[in-house]
Amino acid sequence: MGMPMGDGAVTAADPAEAWAGEREPAQKPEEPSLSAGEWLSKNLFSSAANSVLTVVFTLLVLLAVRGLLNFTFSEERTWRAVKTNVRFLFTHAYPQDQYARIWVCVGVIAVLSGLSVGLLAKTGRGISMKRLSMNLMGTGGVIGLGILLREPSAVVDSEGLVVHRDPAAAVGDSFVDWLDGNALTVLGVLVLANAVVAVWFHLQGTYLRDGPEPRLAHGALVLVSIGVLIVQQYASGEVVRESFAEAMADRSWWWLAAALLAGAGAAVWFGLGDARRRNTFVPAMYVFFAATAVMVLSAWLYPWGHYAFLEGEFISEPGSTVAMTTKLPWTVMWVLLVGTFLLGRALSTAGAASRLRVPLNLLWVMTPFVLYWAVLRDPDLDWDHVLSTDIPMAVFFAAFGGLVVWYLAHPRIGEAGRIMAVVLVGVAVLNWVAAYFGWYPMLQKARISFLLLAVVALLAHNFAGDRTHRMRLVVAWVAIMAVFHWLVTLVNSPSTVDTPTDALFGGFATTLTVATFTLLLAFPMGVLLALARTSKLPIFRVLATAYIEVFRGVPLITLLFFFVLIFNLFLPGGMSLTDIAGATIGFALFSAAYLAENIRGGLQAVRRGQYEASDAVGFSTVQRTLFIVLPQALRVSIPPLVGQVIATFKETSLLAVAGMFDFLRIADKVISAQSEFLGVKREGLLFVSFIYWIFAYNMSKHSQRIEKRLGVGER
Amino acid sequence: MSNTDQATLAATQSQRPPFYRDVTVVKWLAQVFTLLLVVFALFFLTTQALENLDRQGIEIKYDFLSIGLGSDLREGIDTDPDTAGRALWAGAVNTIRIAVGGIIAATILGVLVGVGRLSSNWIVSRMCSVFIETARNIPLLVQIIFIWALVATLPNVELDQGPINGLLHLSNKGVSVPRLHIDDGFYQWLIFIAAGVLVGWLVKRRQDRRHDATGQDTYPVASFVGVLALFGAVGWVAHPIFGWVGAIFDFIGDGFSALTPVVMQVVLSLAALAAAAWWIRRFLARHRTPAGLMKLTDDDKFRIIFAGVGALAVIAFVLVGWPGLSSWIINSGTDLLGVIADKFGDGRTGRPIDIKAPDVEQVGNFPNPGPAGLNLTQGGAAVFFGVVLYTASFIAEIVRGGILAVPKGQTEAAQAVGLRRVTMLRRVILPQAFRVILPPLGNQYLNLTKNTSLAIAVGYSDFVQVGQIVYNQTGKSLEVISLWMLFYLACSLTISVIVNFFNIRLKIVER
Repeated sequence: MGMPMGDGAVTAADPAEAWAGEREPAQKPEEPSLSAGEWLSKNLFSSAANSVLTVVFTLLVLLAVRGLLNFTFSEERTWRAVKTNVRFLFTHAYPQDQYARIWVCVGVIAVLSGLSVGLLAKTGRGISMKRLSMNLMGTGGVIGLGILLREPSAVVDSEGLVVHRDPAAAVGDSFVDWLDGNALTVLGVLVLANAVVAVWFHLQGTYLRDGPEPRLAHGALVLVSIGVLIVQQYASGEVVRESFAEAMADRSWWWLAAALLAGAGAAVWFGLGDARRRNTFVPAMYVFFAATAVMVLSAWLYPWGHYAFLEGEFISEPGSTVAMTTKLPWTVMWVLLVGTFLLGRALSTAGAASRLRVPLNLLWVMTPFVLYWAVLRDPDLDWDHVLSTDIPMAVFFAAFGGLVVWYLAHPRIGEAGRIMAVVLVGVAVLNWVAAYFGWYPMLQKARISFLLLAVVALLAHNFAGDRTHRMRLVVAWVAIMAVFHWLVTLVNSPSTVDTPTDALFGGFATTLTVATFTLLLAFPMGVLLALARTSKLPIFRVLATAYIEVFRGVPLITLLFFFVLIFNLFLPGGMSLTDIAGATIGFALFSAAYLAENIRGGLQAVRRGQYEASDAVGFSTVQRTLFIVLPQALRVSIPPLVGQVIATFKETSLLAVAGMFDFLRIADKVISAQSEFLGVKREGLLFVSFIYWIFAYNMSKHSQRIEKRLGVGER
Repeated sequence: MSNTDQATLAATQSQRPPFYRDVTVVKWLAQVFTLLLVVFALFFLTTQALENLDRQGIEIKYDFLSIGLGSDLREGIDTDPDTAGRALWAGAVNTIRIAVGGIIAATILGVLVGVGRLSSNWIVSRMCSVFIETARNIPLLVQIIFIWALVATLPNVELDQGPINGLLHLSNKGVSVPRLHIDDGFYQWLIFIAAGVLVGWLVKRRQDRRHDATGQDTYPVASFVGVLALFGAVGWVAHPIFGWVGAIFDFIGDGFSALTPVVMQVVLSLAALAAAAWWIRRFLARHRTPAGLMKLTDDDKFRIIFAGVGALAVIAFVLVGWPGLSSWIINSGTDLLGVIADKFGDGRTGRPIDIKAPDVEQVGNFPNPGPAGLNLTQGGAAVFFGVVLYTASFIAEIVRGGILAVPKGQTEAAQAVGLRRVTMLRRVILPQAFRVILPPLGNQYLNLTKNTSLAIAVGYSDFVQVGQIVYNQTGKSLEVISLWMLFYLACSLTISVIVNFFNIRLKIVER
């Protein structure tokens, strides 16, 4: 394993995938269809020991599922707390009258996602109809089993309080009560009986070969165990609970959902008739759209209830559908996503994919900046200053720099170009020295522009070429200047969105924002650090190694404390970082060290021949690194990089400890402090876990797919 | 060398590029420039910090470590520490306790789940993968806080009820399990154990050789364990016969305390010089080929010079930097020897080890788990189970990957030569899998240790949480941060040294 491993979720599976990739042909042969009985005896009852394992683990699974269900749907849970605070959980203090801005952001992301997926994503084979229908039927079945396994709801009186029995009368003497009292013994006996069956048939030597008897016996015993688990819950305990009929009637919506899912699955299965037609594939994206459409529809049809804090007032309408301010925007988002996806597909068929790839990716990089500083903050621009200073300066740098770049990218520029570049570097450095000693005043962004120009001037000869190439460079420079000056102007303008706290928002929005900006900062740093660490130049190497080892050796939380609480000490008087900015810097420095190690693994995977070949063609070091080494290295390190993305996403939960109102903190501390929901904590935490899980799980699955695809092309 | 070659050489030499295009010059310019930039940035930040601190009237000093701390810790070796330093020490012990316990538990759970993931039984492998996907895709902090909230719903501790089942005690105050207590005769018994290890090792070597010579089953490991158990059993009763060992340490302690600081200084200086000389000699010996000394690169020379300068720096530190060091060493050495002499002292005739079930006691207003059992508070339990579940999911994936990375041919070959299944696993599969598993496993151990710092969210008194208490009470932010960094870097270094040791031992010897 040449690759160093971070906290990455994906890297661990690397050798496994490698092995699978080597052994399996790219196209799997079609698996022969097993009947249910064959499948069971192959996967669950293949030997006596296996059968006993199966029974024990089935019981464990059922117990765990039952525990989770009873925990989630218990009448002690106050899920209203989460429903009421959804807006709080996702954006915290963002003012409600400005909420359209949030929806614009979500919409922009939906449009970009739809376009990107439609245009660029390789769809692969998708999901076979057979699997789809089996999954649908399976989900329906699992929901049905869950409905049966759940304990019956407690009876509540008119004030909504749980009715208790007289403790003396709590212990009944029916069969159900006896079963409840002796459940562990009964289950133990059943497991033992299973073992006896297994051993008996094993000793007969007929376990696998003859007849279905052992399987039938195991199956019957498992069914009896499930029955015990279900019946046990209807015993008369201290709390008065519903009868079986009442409980089932109570869950009619769930029965409907289970029936619909299973029915849809069965319709697909039997509608398609024979095995060959069931083996046709539908793109995964369409399944996703259908599933989300069902969710959006349910917002219009199902009475989820309408709960909210509106201007400090607690609204609670259990019987109604969700608020119009929720269901309408989400419907629009769904339409936007699907519409842009179809548009992207159409453009892709028209052959525009290759031309649109670069602009689309650039848009993705720009989006966080635009959304944060221009949409969410709504900057209050000082137009006099903009017209008199900002725009002229931007135009000057664009024009001057454009000329310089045009000149320096000439293929036969020779010594003059190099001297000019060196002079520009000198000017840029001098500007900063002057800033330290206070020699001459200059706007900070002019200094940065000079520095950018110096860097571009130093690198320009690597991109030298004919007129088109030079023109492309000039355009790139003008774009950089435009974006840079525009952003600086925005950042320097005060926000008009009035929030009660220092932060613009909190909750999940903060989580996403911090994670995004962390990665945007950390990725270039990581690349530079990795290059420095693998460099042959000793000072670079030592510096990079020291940085990486120190930042990897220290817990993230101490870094966060440092940057949130203490770093302002290190800044000159008057300057200070906001909490969010400090935290983002801390996260970025930490992630950069890990990203650097991941990229270093990729750099080491680039074969020597590539270096030698690029030397032979006469590439300079910069050209070799930019055009030959880095593209290959980054491609190899995509899976661990995605792992690091997931890790960063999960790590943002540490914001809660550093005192910011992030997703976790709102669930943990804020909701449980509201007078309506005092001490209600576990519901919010479960919800937060679930949201984190959805994001992290999907990212890791996606990266595994990428890994597989890369692996196929490579080996 | 032919004429044309010489001509080309001359031509290239005369056509040296101007300095700003000379690769060497540019490289070094860039490096020095970067170094200057980094140094300048650090210098700038430090001077700013010092200036700001000065303005607030704060000095960077570590004397706060010896002043009192106004608050108690929730658990640890010292819940009511006298000084901040003592409190930090207790916090460090708590961190190490959770980390070591967590590493052991996470490894066991991770290996079980990782192997279970490869099971041919559908439900077992599916359950293991559900566990992995759940545990590793939910942030650790969320898990810790969630477990904390779950523990809070457990029943209260009742004074009269006592521990559940006498062994395991679950309550909203945390978890208690039976604990081994080091009793009176433990240290004398340890002598027997040491002797048992020595004799057992000798026996094992003999059995190994007999096995190699004759091919018979000689059960070397079993005989080692047997001898050790025998010695342990004999020592359990016979340990009082070593009552005289303490006197020896007393004697050594007397001699040690008679040393003067000057002698100690000389000894330390000589030791530093000897260490440097030994290192340089070894370094040179490595660079010696049969033909003589290899040409040393600039880096090598720098290393040699650095070793010498380092030794001189140590000597300067001992003589000038901290003259009190040698008397400190003498004093603490005498103390240490005194403690050891006491542990091995005469009259310790009790049992070596005692197992006690957890108990409940009432000190303040509420009943709490008592000192008999091994107690984890609510926060401790949350951190422990959180890091164990989280890390186990990563370890499971590593283990699975490692086992799958062993080529199938190895299994087939082992079966072809007729190895039994157990032997095949022990001698063929596992050693090769372990080679793949170990480096990422070490990384997970590092992560686990660092992740225990999340204890701060649930109030478990680990190093970071105690550090924050100290920082809140004394305002010594930079000092506390520096202690945090030093502590965790030391932990990381220790773990990576251990992992690297095994890694080198397991490496395929490449020729």
